[in-house]
Amino acid sequence: MGEKILELRDLKTSYFTHIGEVKAIRGISFHIHRGEAIGIVGESGSGKSVTALSIMRLLQHPGKIIGGQITFKGKNLLQKSIKEMQCIRGNEISMIFQDSMTSLNPVFTVGNQIIEVILQHHKISKKEAKVKAVEMFKLVGISSPEKRMNQYPHEFSGGMRQRLMIGMALSCEPTLLIADEPTTALDVTIQAQILELMKDLKKRLDTSIILITHDLGVVAALCSRVVVMYSGLIMEEGSIENIFYNSKHPYTQGLLKSIPKANWKDKDKLISIEGTPPDLLGLPDGCPFMPRCSYAMEICKREQSPDFEIEENHRSMCWRLHDEAPKIETWMKRGDFHGTK
Amino acid sequence: MGPNKEPLLEVKNLRKYFPIKDGLAIKSYIKAVDGVSFTINQGETMGLVGESGCGKSTMARTIMRLYKPTDGEICFHGNNLATLKGSQLLPYRKRIQMIFQDPYASLNGRMTVGDIVGEALDIHKLASGKARISMIHELLHKVGLEPDHAIRYPHEFSGGQRQRIGIARALAVSPDFIICDEPISALDVSIQAQIVNMLKDLQSELGLTYLFIAHDLTMVRHISDKIGVMYLGKLVEIADSKTLYKSPRHPYTQALLSAMPIPDPRLASKSRRILIEGDMPSPIDPPLGCRFSTRCQYVHSQCVQEEPKMREISSGHHVACHT
Repeated sequence: MGEKILELRDLKTSYFTHIGEVKAIRGISFHIHRGEAIGIVGESGSGKSVTALSIMRLLQHPGKIIGGQITFKGKNLLQKSIKEMQCIRGNEISMIFQDSMTSLNPVFTVGNQIIEVILQHHKISKKEAKVKAVEMFKLVGISSPEKRMNQYPHEFSGGMRQRLMIGMALSCEPTLLIADEPTTALDVTIQAQILELMKDLKKRLDTSIILITHDLGVVAALCSRVVVMYSGLIMEEGSIENIFYNSKHPYTQGLLKSIPKANWKDKDKLISIEGTPPDLLGLPDGCPFMPRCSYAMEICKREQSPDFEIEENHRSMCWRLHDEAPKIETWMKRGDFHGTK
Repeated sequence: MGPNKEPLLEVKNLRKYFPIKDGLAIKSYIKAVDGVSFTINQGETMGLVGESGCGKSTMARTIMRLYKPTDGEICFHGNNLATLKGSQLLPYRKRIQMIFQDPYASLNGRMTVGDIVGEALDIHKLASGKARISMIHELLHKVGLEPDHAIRYPHEFSGGQRQRIGIARALAVSPDFIICDEPISALDVSIQAQIVNMLKDLQSELGLTYLFIAHDLTMVRHISDKIGVMYLGKLVEIADSKTLYKSPRHPYTQALLSAMPIPDPRLASKSRRILIEGDMPSPIDPPLGCRFSTRCQYVHSQCVQEEPKMREISSGHHVACHT
């Protein structure tokens, strides 16, 4: 495993709205190595996207980072000026947004937009930038790039536009790529294409990838480590094997259980997590998952549990892991998930 | 409750073309639905899958008679809906209802939940006054909401709750048949399971029949008795859901199933993907012969020249493919 390129330590981000402080992120820490792909999963409103925007320092008013550290290649990103951040964005850290239609400018040709990115970060002529752009188009699998360069975003299909966005994000060969739900709006066939592309690029360019998604299937295909978020906290973090086969947090287990399994029987019911995520405006003192948790205890109501380290690189925030707590049986034994082995 | 084998809805050779106009003259047609036939039995759920742009939603809307079909028959309880006009359709509107994809856009933001659910009761003159209010409360209770939610507005609810309101609205006129047009794709995974479970419970309680449209194959399998796969305005394969997932015969179905992300890292690393290259051709000018021929890996000369007919390869398993 390579060096740590990004490290978040106790990051806190809040939105100061007129009805009160919305604590979107309440102290999260994780890191990513060079060439590694990690997944951040969670429901909407759990703070996944705000984490990405905080790293990029792209939070909009009234959002504010109120504490913690973001270290990128040994430098604290929170102390950078706006100008310095601009040099880092796109050049060293790139981001792909969920909705490719709204993230491309409809009145400029796509060639124009990709060349703009290249010129912004490299001291090269427009001609050279164009050659580079054509290369990028080829890399992400867009045929006849010379012709395609002169077309407008609306002439591309959804999958093509997402490829373009990836091409644009990679045009300066960033060390870190943040992909915020890159395949959510796409069909499964196109999703498979995009995932293959990202896997391939990770191998070839040694890019680190943070994949934000709510689809555990997508995570399983690409990532080696998973961070599970719930209402602004990291509920569990571990290797993909640990999360899928040996998860220790009731929320992670609930997420896994609510996906239909292959060995399904006709009348089987899906196991859902009842209730809805809490309102971030009036968060409870205790564990935010407590109202939906079937293993909740008295202490869960009063106090948020600390992180419990289960083994190296596997931690979970649940009182059930405390020495004095009654244990939950791991519901999913190894290989039991699809019941095939 | 076993589904009895009486057909509720028979769709025969349904077509829906949208004209592309150049001034007043019609230049060409978008062939959104191009000759689709299938049958849904009473109490059954049929799933419909396919990529975006393949005509799933157009077909749903044509069956609802929100669009006038270009050609073909829609037999509901033996009556052909395709030729009916205006107020003749009203009795059928009561029996066929729809749940829409986007729980944010499909509810009127200026109406209270009670009025949204009660509107259908007013239109069909089913209840008024106190009876109307108690019916609304009963409907809300049925979908897991509280009676006092009736006086609130849609923006006060989360996505999952709004979809429940949409379902309560569909149930208000006690229909036989509900078309669910991607009812869960806008929701979180944990909420998706809640809604699917609820739809299943309601089905066994009220004896409903569903047409369930989705592009998420995992959930479709869970709710459907049989599944139709659609590609570019045509059905390419119909089978009961177990058969379809176990032994898909059409190359498109195979590719679609292999593209499904597997939520199990060990199986995911072992499985081989059949990648379909490129995008779907335009429905304005679909390829001659088999429509999938431009992207199919098994394509041969017959596929390009001749359009394959739907044939039955085993009981209830229909495929339209030459190979």
